Amino acid sequence: MEENFDPDLIHAIFKLVWSRRNKKVEGNQGIHLEGGAGTSKKTRATTANASALKVSCELLRLFVAEAIQRAALIAEAEGIDIIEPTHLERVLPQLLLDF
Amino acid sequence: METLGDDGIGIGSGGESDKERQEETEEEAALLRDRLLLSVISIASSHAKTLGMTISEPVVACIADLAFKQAEQMGRDVELFAQHAGRKSVNMEDVILSAHRNEHLMGLLRDFAQELKGKEPCTERKRTKKALKNENKVQEPIEMLD
Repeated sequence: MEENFDPDLIHAIFKLVWSRRNKKVEGNQGIHLEGGAGTSKKTRATTANASALKVSCELLRLFVAEAIQRAALIAEAEGIDIIEPTHLERVLPQLLLDF
Repeated sequence: METLGDDGIGIGSGGESDKERQEETEEEAALLRDRLLLSVISIASSHAKTLGMTISEPVVACIADLAFKQAEQMGRDVELFAQHAGRKSVNMEDVILSAHRNEHLMGLLRDFAQELKGKEPCTERKRTKKALKNENKVQEPIEMLD
């Protein structure tokens, strides 16, 4: 029953973020090291180990579950059994502070 | 009036190749967003079921968008933590640290991590005869003290 995110998907998102940052860093380095004779230091990309990815998946799953649980509380208090955007709106500030 | 709002994508130093790369990353990001949306839909629907509620579509889409942003932020945080520790590779502790804003959450993640650690030795290493003998030896002194 325990559904979770795919570690490969999370890994792909991380790699996207890391390569974006890498390009920024490389861009800045290029400006400073222009005189060098082709000695551009290629900053090795960050990697993540398998258990770190699993824990990240768990963290994101907790985020989704928590969002739903808090919004559901509000909806229940109103006596409605469908979670609407207004319910999510009300729990959003505290949710984002907690995560 | 300027604000500190992030534009999301790194500002390139101009030129066609940079624009092409930006378009590629945008396409990749869109693909990942869709995949994440699918995962969120399945997790959200099953969780709502256990609560006996239904979720409206816009809420799921919103949560998926938030989850994507959280994942991006998480990626940046753990990269910084790993680099700060002088490592190129992100490990479990970096991820757990990134949840430091909420003690309860951090505790949950530590438990999860402990479980993972506990499972790994069993699946990776075969229990040797020596290890079993040591376990028996550890038990004996306790009995003698009694």
